[in-house]
Amino acid sequence: MDELLSEFVAETQESLEALANVVVALEVDPSDRKLLDELFRFFHTVKGSCGFLNLPRFEKLSHAAEDVLSEIRAGDATPDAATITAVLAVMDRIAELCEAVAIGEALPDGNDSQLIETLRHCYRMAGAMPAEDEGQPDSTDTNVAAPEEGSSAPEQNEKASRGATTSRTIRLPLSLIDQLMNGVSDMVLARNELSRKLRTSDASPELETAFERLSACIADMRDTISKTRMQRVDRLFMAIPRMVRDLGRELGKSIELKLEGGDVEMDREMVEMVVDPLTHIVRNSIDHGIEAPADRIAAGKPEGGTLCVSARQSGSQIVIEVTDDGRGINVEAIANKVVSAGIMTAQDVAKLSETAKLDLIFTPGLSTAHEVTAISGRGVGMDIVRANIERIGGVISLSNDPGNGLTITMRVPLTLTIIPGLLLKAGGLNFAIPRSAIIEILHDNNPTVSVNRLAGALTATIRGVRYSMIDLENVIGLPFVEQIGARTLMLVRSSSGKPYILGVSQVENHEELVIRPAAPMVMAAGIYAGMTLPDNGQPMLLLDAGGIAQTAQLPLVVEDVEASEAAAKEQAARQYYTGLRFTELTGEERVIRLSLVERVEDIAIDAFGKTAGRTHAMIEGKLIPCLRDVDVEGLKAQGAHEVTCMRLRDDRRELCYPVRHVVDIDEVPTELDLSAAYDVVAGVVLLNDVHIEVIDGFALFASALDVVEQTDMRRARCVIADADDSWNREILAPLLMQAGYQVAWGNTENSVGGDDVVLITSDSSPEDSSPEIASASRAAVIRLRNSSDPASPDDSSIYRYDRARLLEAISQAGEMQADEARSVA
Amino acid sequence: MSELYLFARIAETSVAIRTEEVEAVVRLSELSPVPGVSGHVAGLSALRSRVLTIIDATALILGTAPATIDADAGASYAIVCDISGHSYGILVDGVDDIRTVHTAALPICGRVSDAWEPYAHGVIEDEGQSYFILSLSSFLDQSVAAQAA
Repeated sequence: MDELLSEFVAETQESLEALANVVVALEVDPSDRKLLDELFRFFHTVKGSCGFLNLPRFEKLSHAAEDVLSEIRAGDATPDAATITAVLAVMDRIAELCEAVAIGEALPDGNDSQLIETLRHCYRMAGAMPAEDEGQPDSTDTNVAAPEEGSSAPEQNEKASRGATTSRTIRLPLSLIDQLMNGVSDMVLARNELSRKLRTSDASPELETAFERLSACIADMRDTISKTRMQRVDRLFMAIPRMVRDLGRELGKSIELKLEGGDVEMDREMVEMVVDPLTHIVRNSIDHGIEAPADRIAAGKPEGGTLCVSARQSGSQIVIEVTDDGRGINVEAIANKVVSAGIMTAQDVAKLSETAKLDLIFTPGLSTAHEVTAISGRGVGMDIVRANIERIGGVISLSNDPGNGLTITMRVPLTLTIIPGLLLKAGGLNFAIPRSAIIEILHDNNPTVSVNRLAGALTATIRGVRYSMIDLENVIGLPFVEQIGARTLMLVRSSSGKPYILGVSQVENHEELVIRPAAPMVMAAGIYAGMTLPDNGQPMLLLDAGGIAQTAQLPLVVEDVEASEAAAKEQAARQYYTGLRFTELTGEERVIRLSLVERVEDIAIDAFGKTAGRTHAMIEGKLIPCLRDVDVEGLKAQGAHEVTCMRLRDDRRELCYPVRHVVDIDEVPTELDLSAAYDVVAGVVLLNDVHIEVIDGFALFASALDVVEQTDMRRARCVIADADDSWNREILAPLLMQAGYQVAWGNTENSVGGDDVVLITSDSSPEDSSPEIASASRAAVIRLRNSSDPASPDDSSIYRYDRARLLEAISQAGEMQADEARSVA
Repeated sequence: MSELYLFARIAETSVAIRTEEVEAVVRLSELSPVPGVSGHVAGLSALRSRVLTIIDATALILGTAPATIDADAGASYAIVCDISGHSYGILVDGVDDIRTVHTAALPICGRVSDAWEPYAHGVIEDEGQSYFILSLSSFLDQSVAAQAA
């Protein structure tokens, strides 16, 4: 509103100045219709604008003047001097009011109605009397003179005070500003030339000082002139309200629009470049983002959608955000569309991160697919939006909240014409490239870089990430110039999102560059973005990073980034694992996968015991098998009280691995330098130039296999039929218990369940007790005999000291019982 | 009907260019090559703060390799013009004169060689000699077209 008002004031004042002559000329020749028309138009315009701007006093005054003038025009009458004077008085009052509005003061008091009355009176007098009558108007003349003089006095006061308070604006043709800009550029070049000349000659300090002052002035001037190019972002926003209203009405959506940051300033050309992408984004938001009112209510949202467009300055960038509270982007639908359009395979898409999937809406080719808009929302021409933003050195990003809205952020440089650039050399020529396109610069002899040539294709790997690479000389068809020292590799952003490496002779300098558009035949090459005249005065071409990638047909597929990164990580992980280095009790240094070791602790030497050639340790009340013998007496003799143990665990069992001491944790290569498996050692690796044996985790646990598994509770219960038999009691029962079975006695009150296995010693009268037990249930029965040989060929009993067969039979019977129980159930 | 013409020589042909199209004639001393662009674009040259795109007229018309600017010879003239917002310098063999011609343009008689065909707009006669009329804007349109082909 403020801008409109000041524009109105400026326009009115301008026309007033021009009309001053018109009125004078009209007095000289009152019959000149052209002049009369001009005057009429002025009042008409003022009346129109001030009605709109809510300035009632302006309106009344101009309305009255317009009325009078139109009547004069309609009546084909010629205004007399008194009427013209009265009109002039009205004009003066308008000028006075304008001043007040311009400086933001209260409107000066003044009797407008008196002025209007005078005007009407004059006109009536003139109408009543024939124009030839010269005698009469005198009285009216003096009548009019009084208010006119009264009005001029305050005007003069204001003029005196005005300088301090108002900032006046003038309007200039753009070409003039451009000319001014070019003039300053010329000046900068002349300064640079002078500076070079001064450097080569032995200039006196006074001359240097004078030159410095000149330089500073020119730099200031350049800054100031640059500011004339700035425009308020309001301009950018101007078309949005109308568009939102029209589209909303068309689609039957009610949308509340919020515009923020209209007073941010940016380059005029930049504004023009951003208009189209912004329009597109806003259109998309309304069309596809914000749902129809019914859908919104169903989703529990307010019926009307909200669209917020904001601009703010952030450093040397302008950030423009478009936020809606619509349905957001359906990422899966976009991904499906990409797959069905054959742009990427389903596997590749599945590998992408959520952000990368979101970025798929920028995929070229999706734009023509109308189904996408129907299914998912956006996708129409977003690739073009991104290309446009990137062309001006900007970045576009998305923040998606499915179901709740989408924010699209555009970051564009403040100005298009002056950008920070890098000057580089390739093939003996100089080129410039926007600094915003460069991610990283390295020399090709940098140890983190490796360049490979495969069938003509260059690939550079930087810190494990592979990039396509191209030498600038090859793109522009120039010979490589021999040079001393390393070539420079630049990691460059391309429009498809995946960076690539551009090889050049060297990067020379960094400069603020004034960019001009290049001629169409130069742009047609597709690798230039413009031209520039750097401070050395030698014209230079600005490279277009995206264009080079396209011209060189680099395979810049987006999916490669994620996939190769993941693969690289995986590979790195596979190459090394973390191992624990330790010294065996016997002195060898070995390494074991750290992941196998649950913890390392010192265990009192008395906790170790040895039974049947096997060592075990008592830890936390449990006996845990030891994988190494511990010479308890020997260690005690050496004065040791504790033994360091690694406690290992697979998914079920726990083992104790006594060692002399633990050395360190190391990254151990997966690949063995010497594969030589014996015992629990898998082979040898070189660690810090020392060869170390690697423990084979599998062999380790396998070697402890026959250790009783305490964690696995046997299902079956063994029922020994004759509890009184001492062999049963003292020999058989402990064996079964040791094997992990629960033992019960047949002659107690225990009932025999379906899961049980009944053991009957054949020598103890088979007929008396066993039949009822066996018949009482479907329990399996195993008979034991005393003699090692079977009594008859169909004797299924088992020799009572055949431990292996006995345990096998019990376990088989137990399983059968379990199976039966399951099938019955 | 009288008009002011600039008389120049391109590929051993005398041409006349309407002075309205001509901004200046400059002597080029230095050219920055534009690699990767078709041959008739000889390079870029700075004219004060402006950057001129230099088109080698002979190379464009005859399709030959562009001339290289030899700073020592110093005899390379370029006609500076401003067409659709871009500044160009058109490299010619030589510039002879600027004269007002009082006769109207005449249609071309005889068969123009293929190379010149796209530029044939008419001839004017002055002081007993014929000059081929060259329009710079159509000349540059042709330059873009030649590249597209």
